[in-house]
Amino acid sequence: MSGSKLFIRQVLALLVKDLKTEWRTREIFTSMFVFAVLVIVVFNFAIGADPELIRQVVSGVVWVALLFATVLGLQRAGQMESEEDSLEGVLLALHDRSALFVAKMIAQMLYLVLVVVCSLPLCGIWFRIDFTACIGALGVVFVLGMLGLSIVGTLFSMIVLHTRAREVMLPMLFLPVSVPLTIAAVYATDQLIVGKSLRDITDYLTLIGIFDIVFLTLALMVFDYIVED
Amino acid sequence: MFLDRNHMFHAIAMYISMTTAIFLIFAYAPTDKMQGIVQKIFYFHVSSAITMFFAFFVVFVASIMYLWKSSDWWDAVALSAAEIGVVFCTLVLITGPIWGRPIWGTWWSWDPTLTLTLVLWLIYVAYLMLRIDAHDPKRARFAAILGVVGFVDVPLIRWSVEKWRTLHPKPVLIQEGGTTGIESSAMLLTFVVCLGAFLLLFFYLLWERTSIAQSRHSLEVLRQEIDDLLTR
Repeated sequence: MSGSKLFIRQVLALLVKDLKTEWRTREIFTSMFVFAVLVIVVFNFAIGADPELIRQVVSGVVWVALLFATVLGLQRAGQMESEEDSLEGVLLALHDRSALFVAKMIAQMLYLVLVVVCSLPLCGIWFRIDFTACIGALGVVFVLGMLGLSIVGTLFSMIVLHTRAREVMLPMLFLPVSVPLTIAAVYATDQLIVGKSLRDITDYLTLIGIFDIVFLTLALMVFDYIVED
Repeated sequence: MFLDRNHMFHAIAMYISMTTAIFLIFAYAPTDKMQGIVQKIFYFHVSSAITMFFAFFVVFVASIMYLWKSSDWWDAVALSAAEIGVVFCTLVLITGPIWGRPIWGTWWSWDPTLTLTLVLWLIYVAYLMLRIDAHDPKRARFAAILGVVGFVDVPLIRWSVEKWRTLHPKPVLIQEGGTTGIESSAMLLTFVVCLGAFLLLFFYLLWERTSIAQSRHSLEVLRQEIDDLLTR
C-alpha cells in the first residue's frame, strides 16, 4: 500500500474511533456546547439590553465562546486519551505519527462546527440578530477560523498532556498564540453582520488563511518531536 | 566572582558602555524641543524593545538548533535568552506607559507596537511557565516548539493588530510618527551608544545565564551518577 493511502486510512481509522467514542458518551460535545451557551448568556447579562451595543459586540462574544469551548473540548479529549495510557497504544500502531495530529484536529474541528451550528441560532434569537442574511459568507469565516483554532489547540493540547497543571497551561499557551486569528475572525464576522460582503473582508480572510497554512505546516513539522520518546 | 578573564573583560566593557550611555543621555544629548525631559526615556525604551526582539530571535534560532541537534547547550541558550527577553519586554511595557502618559495623555494606548509587545510578553511568560511545569525528559523539546511557534506568530500578530488598530482612536496629543523624534546627530549618537550598551548587556547576561544553566545541568548529571553508584 502506498504511503499516502496508508496515511489517509490511518487518519480515518483514528477519526472513526474518536467519533465513535464521542457518539457513545457525548461528553466532549455536550460540555463544549453547554459552556458556549453559558458564555453567551453570561455576556448577555454583562452587556445589558441596548440593541445597538449588542450588535457591536456580538461577534466578539461568539468568538470568545468558541475560544473557551475549544479549550474545554481539548481538555476533555486529552483527559480521555491519557487515561490508561491509551495514547501509547495508538502511537505504537501508527505508521506516520502525524496521522494522530490530523485525526485529532479534524475531530476537534467537527465538534466546533456542531457547536456553532447549534449555538448560533440561539445567539441570533437572544440577541435579535439576523444571521441568515449572510449565512454563506459567515460559514466561510467560521470554517477558516475554527480550522485555525483546531490546529493550534490540538498542537498545544498534545504538549500539555505532559505537564502537571494541564488546565492552566492549555489556555496560557493557546490564547496568546491565537490572538491574530481571534482579531481577524471577530472583525470579519462583525463586518458581515453589518452587511458587508466577502469581497470587503478579503484582508481578514487572507490573514486567517495564512495563519491556518503556517500553523498547519509548523504543527506537522514539529508533531513528531512531541510524541517521540 | 569571575570565572575567568573573558567574563571579567566582558563585564568591564558592559559597565563602561552603560555608564557612557547614561552620561550621553543626560549630559550630552540635547533635550527634545517639544517633549522636554520626558523624551530621554526614549533611549532606554527603544533600546530595550530592540534588545527584546533580538532576544526572542535568539530563542527562535536556539530552539530550531535544539530540535535539530538536541544538544543541551542550545537548550540552555534558548532558556537564557527567553528569560532575558521577558525582562526586557517588561522594561518596554513599563517605560512605554511612563513615556506615553505625558506625551499621549494616557498611560496606555492600544498602539500596534505596544499591543504586540504585550502579546509577546504573554507568549514568552507562558514559555517560561511551560519550562517549569512540563515533565523533565520532554521539557526542553516542548519549550523549543513553543520558541519556534511564538516567533513565527510575531508577523501575524503585528499584521492583525495593525488592521485592528485602524478601527480605534489614535493617541491624542501627538501623532505616533512624531514621538520617536530623533532631531539631531547628537541624539542619534546617544541612541546608537545606548543600543550598543543594551545589546552588550544582553550578551553578557546571556553568557552568564547559559553557563549557570550548563553548570546546573552537569550538577544534575553528577548527582544522578552518585545516586546510581549508591543504589548499586
